[in-house]
This record gives sequence, C-alpha cells and structure tokens, in this order.
Amino acid sequence: MELQPIYIQILALVLFTIGLITALARRNVFFVLMGVELALNAVNLSFVGFAKTLPADLSVAGQIVPLFSIAVAAAEACVGLALVILIFRNRESVDSDNYSNMKG
Amino acid sequence: MLALIYFIILAVVAVGAALCVFLSKHPLYGGLSLVLTMLSLAGIYGLLGSPFIGVVQIMVYAGAIMMLLVFVISVLNAAKDNKTPMFDGVSIFVILGVLALAGLVGFALVLSPMGFDVTTLRGSVEMTSSNLFNTAQNGPGYFVLFEVLGLLLLSSMGAAVLMAKKRLGTDEACVEEKEEK
Repeated sequence: MELQPIYIQILALVLFTIGLITALARRNVFFVLMGVELALNAVNLSFVGFAKTLPADLSVAGQIVPLFSIAVAAAEACVGLALVILIFRNRESVDSDNYSNMKG
Repeated sequence: MLALIYFIILAVVAVGAALCVFLSKHPLYGGLSLVLTMLSLAGIYGLLGSPFIGVVQIMVYAGAIMMLLVFVISVLNAAKDNKTPMFDGVSIFVILGVLALAGLVGFALVLSPMGFDVTTLRGSVEMTSSNLFNTAQNGPGYFVLFEVLGLLLLSSMGAAVLMAKKRLGTDEACVEEKEEK
C-alpha cells in the first residue's frame, strides 16, 4: 500500500463537499464565508495533487496557480468581511435570510 | 507506507475539523476548526512535495485570513445572536443534492487511472521563484499575473476600508449620528 493520487483527490472532493454544504445550508453568514474558504482550500489541494501526476516541466503550473488562488482568497475575505460589517450595522443580524431585502 | 500513514492521520484530522465547521453552533468554534483544517492541509502539501505552498498556506490562510475572520466575529459579537437557527427546511434538500453530485464526481474520479510521476518537480522555493519571476520573452509569464495580483490586493484593501468606514447611507443613520454628536 502506497500513497495514491486518487486518495488526495477523494480527500479534496470530501472537503469541497463539506464546504459547499456549509456555504449553502447554514444560515449564519460567517459560516457561509467559512464554507467558501473551505471549498477554495479543497480546490488548491486538488491542483497540487494533480500536479504531482505530471512529468517534470508540466508539474510547475499546478504548484504556482494555488499561490494566486490563495492571494485572491485573501482579497475575497477582506471585501466579504467589510460587507458583513456594513450589513450587520444596518440589520443587527447575522442571519443571511434577513439580508434578502438589500435595496437602498 | 509511512507516507500513507501520515496522509491518513492528516486527512482524518482535516475531515473531522471540516465536519466541526459544519456542525458547530458558534462561529468562533467554526473558525478555530477551520484553522485546524488548514494546518493539516499544509501538512499534506509538505507530504506531497510542495513545502512552499504549505508554508504560504499556514502564513496567509491560517495566519492572516482566519485571524481577520475570528477578529471580525469577536468584534461583531455574534454570540449575542442565539435566535438564528442553524438550518432551515430547504437545507435537507441542499445537502442531499450536493451529496448526490459529490457521489457522481467521486465515481468518475475512481474510474480514471492516475499515478504519481517520478520526474515531477519538487515545489521548493527555488523552483517557485525561478518560475514565478521568469521575465524571459518566451517564459511562462507568471510575473504579469503577480503584478495584477498586487493591484487586486491594493484595490480590495481600499474598497474594504471605504466600505467599513462609511456610515450607513440611510437618512436615519445620519440623523442618529448627528444626535450622538
């Protein structure tokens, strides 16, 4: 028994599923943000796992793209949390169902 | 064999902490469980031979992003809000749908043949930096993306500061603010 690439992909799939379920089914807006972060993490893991199945020069891209993905996730978390602060001041609630009426 | 044992330990920790994120009631516990997931994923990156991504994962994700998230949860004091239910009636259908989709994808994954390549490059600092900052004419051109990323981070920081600083646009909020002064 050795470590196979398919195990890594299965782990990434499980983490992505949990992240997607957390983002879609939970109602607290912080859990929605955390679910998105978890799904992004799973995609990064999948990138690296697939990169290790490629020969020498082809395996570079799969190990550099996750760096960009992490930086974009940092920007997303920054703007998303600023939005949450802004809406929380307005609505006094962290329930995402209360954010449905966002006009004006 | 040893790599498989390490992988199984780290994978169990990662999935267990992810389930804790899904099932915990308070956002702070969820955030701390998410930190644990990210740390074990960093260990898996190191195990796979990409230590640089693992270190960046610890520094940026587990360090910066989760610090920001936990800080905002503490500032907004979401613990007061015990009325928000964890799930509602639609959640069960969402969960079943996503699980069915994951089952299909997993079935397709298991059928596909894959194997580790022995000539694959180790994701060390030298490999990453020499490819990321390769400014040759016929190079990969990642450095342009790097510059764009700097602009993206700068603009998102500006947007976040502007949004979080702005008092709410409604008139009532402005009136209340003046009364407070």
